[in-house]
Amino acid sequence: MKKRSPHPLYIQLYDLFLIELCNWRWGWRNLILTGTVLPIFGMILLGSFARELGAEALSYVLVGNLVMALLFEHKGKLISHFSYMKAAGSLDYFATLPVSKFLLILAAFAAFFLLFLPSLLVTLLGGAWLLGLHILPHPLAVLVVPLCALPLAGLGALLGVSFRTPEEAMATGRLLTIVMLATGPVFIPPDRLPDWLVWLGFCSPATYAASALRQVLLGPITQRLLLDVAALAAFVVLSFWVVDRLMEWREN
Amino acid sequence: MNNASDNVYALANLTKRYPKKYRPANDDISFTVEAGEIFGLLGDNGAGKSTLVKQMANLVRPSSGSVKLFGTPVEEDPMLVPRFVGYMPQSGRTLNSLTVAEAIYFTAHLRGLSRREALTERERLLHVWQLEESRDQLSSRLSGGQQRLLQLAVAMAGQPPVLILDEPTNELAPQRRRHVWETLRAENQELGTTIIFITHDAIEAEKIIQRVGIMREGRLVALGKLQILKGQVDQQLRLEIRFPPDTPPVVPADFSRVELSPGHWLIRLDRRQVETILAVLNQSQLEDFQLKSATLEDLYLRYNK
Repeated sequence: MKKRSPHPLYIQLYDLFLIELCNWRWGWRNLILTGTVLPIFGMILLGSFARELGAEALSYVLVGNLVMALLFEHKGKLISHFSYMKAAGSLDYFATLPVSKFLLILAAFAAFFLLFLPSLLVTLLGGAWLLGLHILPHPLAVLVVPLCALPLAGLGALLGVSFRTPEEAMATGRLLTIVMLATGPVFIPPDRLPDWLVWLGFCSPATYAASALRQVLLGPITQRLLLDVAALAAFVVLSFWVVDRLMEWREN
Repeated sequence: MNNASDNVYALANLTKRYPKKYRPANDDISFTVEAGEIFGLLGDNGAGKSTLVKQMANLVRPSSGSVKLFGTPVEEDPMLVPRFVGYMPQSGRTLNSLTVAEAIYFTAHLRGLSRREALTERERLLHVWQLEESRDQLSSRLSGGQQRLLQLAVAMAGQPPVLILDEPTNELAPQRRRHVWETLRAENQELGTTIIFITHDAIEAEKIIQRVGIMREGRLVALGKLQILKGQVDQQLRLEIRFPPDTPPVVPADFSRVELSPGHWLIRLDRRQVETILAVLNQSQLEDFQLKSATLEDLYLRYNK
């Protein structure tokens, strides 16, 4: 009887990453649309209101749209990807291979993040140009940008496999997006929000992602970045812990 | 791992109930599959075959009962099934974003082969399943039949000692169906692979099945070696007749006939009825007739009446 041991985790992750990266073959048009066109239109629309309120309000428009693209569109892609994998039987295929669930989610996250990066860059540069803002990227952006995308990656996978149909999963994901974007100073400066909404915002990863992105892309870096990074890291750990507990892909 | 017995799988009192369903999908099913065996599962649509093999592949949790693979309950070690079993699901859309060659290579490599071995395995399977010309094609662009062959190649990639195949010949033309059964038999004989499969293709599958289980409404209604089970219907014969569709022959009313296609009937009869029917039929009116002993399909139909 042939008895082979599974490969080390880094080899499994590399293979899974390459498999997931092949999704560019069907997904690139969609990624351009949701990763570039929608945020750019969002900035044109919101920018026309925010222009009268000054540079700070415009910076919230830019960063808010980046958060929407990075955190929520990315999560939306993972929801639709995992719900499609469930419907098409791909999840069963991976579940019968000697690979870990955690690595599959991480590989899907990394692949979609990489596929999203060009759109993100275009959105950032195009948005800054449209809104007349100067970008001052800090080297910490290399750490902060992926960290902003991670907190909802696990949640995206979990939502994708938890609902009966992709439609139900996507609708729930959209609802979550609206709630999180509306909660806290993501698109709108805190001094223009009611206090209770600002406080509620501390429960949402979008608040920390917006704050961290604003600091590493537009400056200046303050001590608040430490809190933002710590909170985002905590959301990542929590998200993957929940996924590990609740997402059953074998014997489901 | 307990390898004391030759049992690859041992299922005991396996029951699966889905919420809001009036009867269980699987009801108190027990059987074993021995090493190197070719085991076929037959049954009508909705008989619970796919649910059963999904439990064997640890993709569905039983409501009660147990599934042991090499003596260990499958749910005890999540890596047990992935290390030993190649599973082919019914759906053919599982690897839509990969090309044919990529799908086979990655599966073989993830099953523990080295990169070089995985490349060699890829070439072997492309050849075995006659997919060389489609190697760079996206699996989503393949025809239904080619997708089926790719699913088979992927299930076999890395030469797992056990294969579980959910309707391996669905959507395949007769010639390709024959090729599938021949290839599976060769895999079984050369590598000792244990093969468990679901099929509706009883006539072709009969050539390779060693033991059979027949399911009906969630229960296993027949189980045993094919030759022994066929003993139950060995008094039955199949008479197939072909004739010009516009001039059908006269068949006495007490013979049940099934129209397989225009101008092609199947008549089931006992051995003692042979003389009677041959005397009645006007053989000059027939284009062709064949008298055969009972097949696995007859057995299947007997249990699914």
